[in-house]
Amino acid sequence: MANDGSDQTVALSLLDQAACGLMQTVADGTFTRANRTFCSWIGLPAEALVGRRRFQDLLTMGGRIFHQTHWAPLLQMQGSISEIKLEIVHADGSAIPMVLNAIRRQDDGVLVHELAAFIARDRDKYERELIQSRKRLEDLVAESARLQAEAKDRALFAEQMIGIVSHDLRNPLSSIQMGTHLLAQSEPSHGQQRVLARVQRAADRANRLIADLLDFTQARVGNGLAVERTKIDLHAAIRETVEELADVYPGRRLEHRVLGEGTCLADPNRLAQAVGNLVSNAMVYGSPDKVVKVTSTVAEGSLSIEVHNDGPAIPPHAQPGLFQPMARGTNATNAGRSVGLGLFIVSEIAKSHGGKAHVKSTAEEGTTFAVTLPRE
Amino acid sequence: MTLQLRNNVRVSGNGATTMVFAHGFGCDQNMWRLLAPAYAKRYRTILFDLVGSGDSDATAYDVGKYSSLQGYAGDVLEIVRAFCDGPVIFVGHSVSAMIGMLANLQEPSRFAAQIMIGPSPCYINDGDYVGGFTRADIESLLVTLEGNYLGWSSNMAPAIMGAPDQPELGKELTNSFCRTDPEIAKQFARVTFLADTRAELPLLTAPTLIVQCNDDIIAPIAVGAYLHRQLPHSTLSIIDNVGHCPHLSAPGPVATVMDSFLAQEGL
Repeated sequence: MANDGSDQTVALSLLDQAACGLMQTVADGTFTRANRTFCSWIGLPAEALVGRRRFQDLLTMGGRIFHQTHWAPLLQMQGSISEIKLEIVHADGSAIPMVLNAIRRQDDGVLVHELAAFIARDRDKYERELIQSRKRLEDLVAESARLQAEAKDRALFAEQMIGIVSHDLRNPLSSIQMGTHLLAQSEPSHGQQRVLARVQRAADRANRLIADLLDFTQARVGNGLAVERTKIDLHAAIRETVEELADVYPGRRLEHRVLGEGTCLADPNRLAQAVGNLVSNAMVYGSPDKVVKVTSTVAEGSLSIEVHNDGPAIPPHAQPGLFQPMARGTNATNAGRSVGLGLFIVSEIAKSHGGKAHVKSTAEEGTTFAVTLPRE
Repeated sequence: MTLQLRNNVRVSGNGATTMVFAHGFGCDQNMWRLLAPAYAKRYRTILFDLVGSGDSDATAYDVGKYSSLQGYAGDVLEIVRAFCDGPVIFVGHSVSAMIGMLANLQEPSRFAAQIMIGPSPCYINDGDYVGGFTRADIESLLVTLEGNYLGWSSNMAPAIMGAPDQPELGKELTNSFCRTDPEIAKQFARVTFLADTRAELPLLTAPTLIVQCNDDIIAPIAVGAYLHRQLPHSTLSIIDNVGHCPHLSAPGPVATVMDSFLAQEGL
C-alpha cells in the first residue's frame, strides 16, 4: 500500500510538473484537471479552472469558432486530434499560441477529453513570417502581371498608331509626288530639275518606308501579311525587279543569275518587295566596289532567291535575331537606312508563302540572305 | 453524371418524400452519420458535400460563383431538380440552413418543409440585432484558420492519433473528414460568417423547424428566438446541448424534435 501510494504520488508529481500542459475535461469542455505547468502558463490556479471553466472559454473568439466547427466534430468522429494550433488567453489578457493534442475516451463510464498543450511562440512567429512572405510574393506576382499587361497594351497601341499614322501619311505624300510630276512638265531650269529629282527620290523613299510600316502592322497586329499567289515565271519576275533596282543604284554593280527552270506559285509583287529590301541592305552593308549578286533558283519542289554581298561578316551571335523588327547586324549607322523593318518583312513574306528566310555570313564568303519557298 | 461527382451526392432509402441533408462550414456530409440513417427507413435520403468541402470536386470551385450563398443555393436546386421527383424536406446545418432557405425561395413548390439545425441569418451584431460576433471576431477566425492550415499539406486533414474506442469509424473517413483546401476554407469562412439573410426570412412560407441548442456560441439562443419571430411558419425547439453540432453530440434529442415536427406537419 505504501509503495502504491508513493508510486502514485511520484506519478502525479511527474504529471503536475511535466514539460507540457496536461488537462482533462468532461465532454462539454468543463475542466476536471489541469497540471501545474498549464496553470502557470496561463496565469490561473487549478481551482479557477476545475469545475468552473470550460476549455473553449480560454480561447480567442476565432479559436472558439474553430473549436465548434472543426475541433469538436473531429474529436467526436475520430476520437482524437493532434497538432491543432490555437491561442489560449492568459489571465492578463495576452494570447499564447499553443499546439494541442486531444483524445476522447471513456473513464469509468464517463466520457472525458484529455489534452496536451505545448507553447508554440516560435512556430507561430515563423508561420506568420511565412504567411507574410507568401503574401508579399503574391503581391509581387500580381504587380508584375499587371505591368506586363500594361506593357503589352502599350506596345499594341503603339503598333496600331504606326498603322494609322502611316496610312494617313500616304495622301500628303501622293500630293507631293503629283506636284513634282506636274512641275517636271513645266520646263524647269537645270537647277530646278536637280531639286525636283531630289524631292522625287525622297518621296519614293518615304513611300517605301510607309509601305514597310503598314506591312509591319499588318504582320504584327493583323493576321500576317496578305499574299496573292499566282502562276509566275520566277526568273522573269526577278529579272524585271533587278533591272528596276539597277536604276535606283547608279554606279553600283548588280547581277542576276538563274538556276533551273519552270513556273511556280507565288506573289510577284511580294517577291519584288523582298528582293528590293535585300538588295537595299546589300548596297548599304556590301563593299561599294564589289558586285551584289541576285540568284533565283527553281528546284524540284522549292524555289529560292539569294542576295549576296561581299561586306564584312555579321557576327554569329547577331544572326538569329536579324529577322526581328528593329534588329541590326552591326552597329553601323547610315543615313540611307530605314527603321529596321526590311528583314522582318522579308521573313514575313517568306512565312506567308509557307517558306523561310535565312542568312549565311562568313568573312571568307561574304553575306548571303535567302528566302526558300515551296514551289506550289 | 457530373453533378453526382461535383457534390459527391449519395442517395439511400425509399419513399415519396426526399430528405436532403446539407452540412455546414467546417466538415462534410459525414456529420450526418448519427442522424441520417434512421430517416432512410422512412424517406429517400440525399447526402452531399458542398463544393470545396469533403469529397466534392474541388476543380468545380469557382471563386466568383461561391462568393455568396446564392452560388451554393443554385447547386442545391440543381441537386433537387436532378435527384428528387416528389416533395423535399431540406435539413440544413448552420450556414446550410440559410442556403436551403435561399434555394426554397427560388422554387418554393419543390420544398415541403425546412429543418434548420443551429441556424443563424447573420453572425455579426448589428444595432439591436445580436448575432454574437463582431467583424474583428471573424477576422480572428480567419487568422486561426490560416494558422491551422499552414502546417497541413494542401489536402490533408490534421493528423489522427487513432480512435481505439470507435472501431466503427472507417479509415476512409479519418482521411477525408474536414479535408479542405486552405484557400477555399478561408473564402467559405468569409462567405459564411459575413452573410446576412435577415431580409429574406419573412418570405419563407414553408413550415420550418428551428433546432436551437441551449448553449451554442455560434448560434446563440437570441438568434433562434429572432428567427422564430421572423419566419412566418416556424416551430422553435430548444434542445439541451453544448456546442454547435447537436446532430453529432445529441442525435437522439434532435431526432425527437424532428419527428414531432414532421408529425405535426403531416410529413
